[in-house]
Amino acid sequence: MSEPIGGSGRSNGPIRGPQSVVGGLGLVALGVFAIWAGGDLPQGTLGAMGPGLMPRWLAIGVAACGVALVVAGLVKRGDPLPPVAWRGMLVVVTAILAFALTIRPFALGPVTTPGLGLIVAGPLAILIGGYATPEARLRELVILALFLTAGCMLLFGDLLNLPIPIFPTFVIEAISGSISTRVLLRIAAGLLTLGGLLGLALGRGSGRRVDVAPHSMTT
Amino acid sequence: MTDLLANLGLGFSIALSLQNLALCFLGCLVGTLIGVLPGVGPIATIAMLLPITFGLDPVGALIMLAGIYYGAQYGGSTTAILVNIPGEATSVITTLDGHQMARQGRAGIALGTAAIASFFAGTVATLLIAALGAPLTKLALVFGPAEYFALMVMGLVFAVVLARGSILKAVAMILVGILFASVGTDLETGQERMTFGLAFLADGVDFSVLAMGLFGIAEILRNLDHTETRDVVRQQIGRLLPGRADIKQATPSVLRGTVIGSTLGILPGNGAVLGPFASYAIEKRIAKDPSRFGNGAIEGVAGPESANNAGAQTSFIPLLTLGIPPNAVMALMVGAMTIHGIVPGPGVMTKNPNLFWGMIASMWLGNLMLLIINLPLVGLWVRLLKVPYRLMFPAILMFCSIGIYSINSVPTDVMFIAFFGIVGYALIKLGFEPAPLLLGFVLGRLMEEYLRRALTLSRGDPIVFLERPVAAGLLLLTAVVLAAALLPSLRKSRDEVFTEA
Repeated sequence: MSEPIGGSGRSNGPIRGPQSVVGGLGLVALGVFAIWAGGDLPQGTLGAMGPGLMPRWLAIGVAACGVALVVAGLVKRGDPLPPVAWRGMLVVVTAILAFALTIRPFALGPVTTPGLGLIVAGPLAILIGGYATPEARLRELVILALFLTAGCMLLFGDLLNLPIPIFPTFVIEAISGSISTRVLLRIAAGLLTLGGLLGLALGRGSGRRVDVAPHSMTT
Repeated sequence: MTDLLANLGLGFSIALSLQNLALCFLGCLVGTLIGVLPGVGPIATIAMLLPITFGLDPVGALIMLAGIYYGAQYGGSTTAILVNIPGEATSVITTLDGHQMARQGRAGIALGTAAIASFFAGTVATLLIAALGAPLTKLALVFGPAEYFALMVMGLVFAVVLARGSILKAVAMILVGILFASVGTDLETGQERMTFGLAFLADGVDFSVLAMGLFGIAEILRNLDHTETRDVVRQQIGRLLPGRADIKQATPSVLRGTVIGSTLGILPGNGAVLGPFASYAIEKRIAKDPSRFGNGAIEGVAGPESANNAGAQTSFIPLLTLGIPPNAVMALMVGAMTIHGIVPGPGVMTKNPNLFWGMIASMWLGNLMLLIINLPLVGLWVRLLKVPYRLMFPAILMFCSIGIYSINSVPTDVMFIAFFGIVGYALIKLGFEPAPLLLGFVLGRLMEEYLRRALTLSRGDPIVFLERPVAAGLLLLTAVVLAAALLPSLRKSRDEVFTEA
């Protein structure tokens, strides 16, 4: 977590509303970028608008709003920049990327990631994502991952029949013909659930869970 | 009148089919669930569940999505009363007196009042939609491209004015939204715009990806950085049904709340959010003893709750009749309709009467179901309130990833929700509301098309927007509202409505 920049907003150099200034600069950057990106598109005339006309004027509008915000931030006292939770952001993004890269083979330049299917990508997302908060507890996350993956496999793969790879590609190749994937899916989901139940039972035996209200939501 | 009855009859015959009834129930249940669960709003949920509804028929899909929406409104008030945390924006006000009632051991009565008030308001609003739908649609049929363009501008400006926060920032968000919408292949010339030769941008930015990133993922990121202690009421929930004295006290507030909520909900901006605030302000002002407010006044629950639900329902009117989404949830509905091949607008009622009237009938059924689901199940909801967020968000993360992947089976979509999640988080941090962005995005392509058509018809003369009386009237109204909102004095009272109490 970073310190709020600009302190309490009291006369801190020429910038009185850091939040507006940063937001405004962002808008200006976006506007300029869009003008550049759409620069090669024909503008046309009002009677026969070209594909570039609307984006160009929108981009100008966005940039103008940005300028106005920057000016407002310089003139009027405004809110400071709030602190940013970098840990949460980095971990959550990593979790999503992990899911995207493992769900099916994905070519990243010369390297191709192995397609591991939902049965690996799902728990991976949960286990990594869970650590976005310092409150994370591994055992809890493992149990959650087991149950949720089983549930999602049945819901998305079996019930809704969505085209989502469930198993790693090498498993599919290895078993091809000998057993139908649907049966395999149900067996795997059953095993995951069993694992989850086992985890719960073990937890109850060893340590007592501190789980009383009031909870702190996170961090 | 006979028309209305016949139409409602058609609606009920569709809504009462086994499948639709089940979907409506499922929607309401899921909606209440997420309304109750900490840190998951209706927008995030609808965005998350959009992919699942792709396999359903359009009527069923929209019935379920609508159920989620008003289910979440109900669930939101449960958390507001029991935990002092509004499940979502419109139940902020309910925390004031509802939670106080709960502290005084009248949690059950607060919950019961909220449920009954909401049901009553929902019933009135449903009738209103049915009655107003037909005439408004006929009106809209005489609209040409110029009128449509003007109408959309008005809708967007109203959304800005009625929202909270900086007007300038909201305008900027709308423009950014329209700008995003223009990425991809130009509909008229087939030329690729701002795609940088990237294949996955050729069809433009995917609506579900944008919505899920901006609302689903960004919401998680935002929740992760502030501590919130949940202070669940430990006292007995107590009796659920309000006594005679309570009913007597609450009835006028419910009536007023319903009127306020339905009127504001119809406005093509996000009036539904304003409803509860306005209702609370009025109840407090006309009360004999305003000091009771904030200390568990039953009117402070009954009024805003009915306004909340009435507004939630009537905000379907601009969507169903004109095709203009008044808020982010309705924008998601537009997205869902488009994905199912239905062009939102006045044509829906004539071309898809089943959808139109089926949805309206299902709203009333949904409200009835909510009354039945909510009151007896309160105990279960209370237990759900105790699910810690550290277990909630990894689950949401996984659902979002699976859902978005299953739409097109491309991993880049999944990566993009992370990207838009960061964008959404940055917007929140910089004080921008992401909702206007989504509205602009949804309306962007249509707006450009209407603008082009109107200008082509007039041979490039922009005066066409002022020559046609309806278009000119709409634009004038828009200008007046915008100017008024920018006036310092009015701006102050606008802020006051939101900060009241």
